[in-house]
Amino acid sequence: MYDLLCAGCGHRTAMMLLDDIIREKNLKEKVILALDVACCSLLIDYVDYDSIMCAHGRVLDVTKGYKEMRRENVVISYMGDGAAYSIGIEEMVHAARRNDDVFAIVINNGLYSMTGGQVAPTYVDVAYSGRENGINSSADDYYKEKGFKIEDIIGKFSIKYLARAALTDKENIDIAKKYISTALNKYVNVGGFNLVELLSPCPTNYKMTPKDTVNMINDKLSKVYQIGEFING
Amino acid sequence: MKKILNGNEAFAYGALAAGVDFYAGYPITPSTDVYEFFEKYGDEFGVKFVHASSEVSAANMIMGASIAGARALTVTSGCGFSLMQEAISYMAADFVPCVILNVMREGAGLGDIPRSQGDYNQMTKGGGNGDYQAIVLAASSAKDCMNLPKVAYELSEKYRNPVIVTYDSDIAHTKENVEVLERVNNDIDKLEYTLKGNETGKPKLVQNIYYHDHNYDETLKNKYELIEQNEQRYSEYDTLDAEIVFVAFSICARICVEVVKVARAKGIKVGLIVPITLYPFPKKAFENLKKCKKIVVVELNILKQMRRDVEYFTKQKYEYYSISSMSTCPTVLDVMNFIEEIR
Ligand code: SF4
Repeated sequence: MYDLLCAGCGHRTAMMLLDDIIREKNLKEKVILALDVACCSLLIDYVDYDSIMCAHGRVLDVTKGYKEMRRENVVISYMGDGAAYSIGIEEMVHAARRNDDVFAIVINNGLYSMTGGQVAPTYVDVAYSGRENGINSSADDYYKEKGFKIEDIIGKFSIKYLARAALTDKENIDIAKKYISTALNKYVNVGGFNLVELLSPCPTNYKMTPKDTVNMINDKLSKVYQIGEFING
Repeated sequence: MKKILNGNEAFAYGALAAGVDFYAGYPITPSTDVYEFFEKYGDEFGVKFVHASSEVSAANMIMGASIAGARALTVTSGCGFSLMQEAISYMAADFVPCVILNVMREGAGLGDIPRSQGDYNQMTKGGGNGDYQAIVLAASSAKDCMNLPKVAYELSEKYRNPVIVTYDSDIAHTKENVEVLERVNNDIDKLEYTLKGNETGKPKLVQNIYYHDHNYDETLKNKYELIEQNEQRYSEYDTLDAEIVFVAFSICARICVEVVKVARAKGIKVGLIVPITLYPFPKKAFENLKKCKKIVVVELNILKQMRRDVEYFTKQKYEYYSISSMSTCPTVLDVMNFIEEIR
């Protein structure tokens, strides 16, 4: 098959992990993959789940409607950071407030990737060194170093699981797999709102080699965006 | 069993009788009675009610529920309807059925809550981005409000296309004696295109990238052609020998029904066409006119939005007149005086 994702892209790793976990748990026939637009949506060609390509930022709405009607199905709500934290932040906050039955994967690569690398709310210049790499960020403090941390936004709601991992080297990818697996177990067995954010390389738009991207995430980005489990209720 | 219900309440009962099983909404006048009905009675009738955080969310939630096989509903007005256009456009592109009720408000922007029919263009010409049409059904009485939801769901599932039901706030809030239809439960497994999980080895996709596929072009064209050929609906009143034919829907249709009676009693040959489908426009209704010379379109918007369709679809072969205002409905006497002026 023609490979649509760039070399070193974190989406590929994320989807492979998800697919592994789904197969290990024998859930394939129950999965509905709800995808956001842009690079996320390319995954529709990589897996053979029943899939929905949602409007930008509306994955959690579509998930809510679907899941209310078919409680036995496993809906993977798969989004980028622009979708989850910018245009879809209202949906995110209220799905968390309601503690909806959600199994969400958010790919955090700091940018709107398919449109050529404009900064997303998650962007932080201290990590990406944007100007040197041709990324235009504003002078706003949040873009300089603070970023947008989902644990600060939905961490006080009564949700079930919130964690962040990095799709970089083996050690971190193993952690990511563990978190995704925990989130999925909770979603299937207990229900409620479960979200795993994945710091994810986009070498194309960082204008770095895949290897430099991995180093940047491990050395700098994960100092801003802490790796770990924030809520495990 | 008969009940005294306003249009909104009748619509809610009609939706129950049509098998609605999911409701997501956001309150907005003059549609809120329907929202309150499902908030209050949803559980009792097995309808899952969700208070969405916006109309954007509500419309996307019904998309999700519909993909799961639900007969999903959202109800709104004016600016709330505008916020739903994103999801409506997606559902049209993705062949997802749904029913949306738009109880029209007056004016653009926030507008106001009196009777109006200013959303005619938005509803009948797409409304969201891209190349699509929603089927639009207009109710002119509480009885229509009771009966149209079933028609709406059947059409939306047949053509896999959004259907909008609409009326103005006079119909929404006028109480009438109406036969209440029985609750019917929807079977969420009945449609072959419902996503249930890949059990067959061939995944089902609800997606927007069919545009790369030549067949998609043809499929879309065929869909709208079939709708336009087969689904024109309208009521006629004394049109056969009428020299002056009125065209009106919702509250204006109710006024014109009376006008026809009064005019006929005076020996004036007046008829009336009430479009039930605003899209597809019921042009067949005009093919039966034998004696008509003048057409009067009565509508509640200043741009004479429906008149443009009437002129276009009747190939401008009559003399056309309008009685139109943003929200002031003419009385029977006003219309009778108008008839005297143009005779
Ligand atoms: S642009 Fe970035 S996110 Fe998109 S496929 Fe390429 S590497 Fe992945």
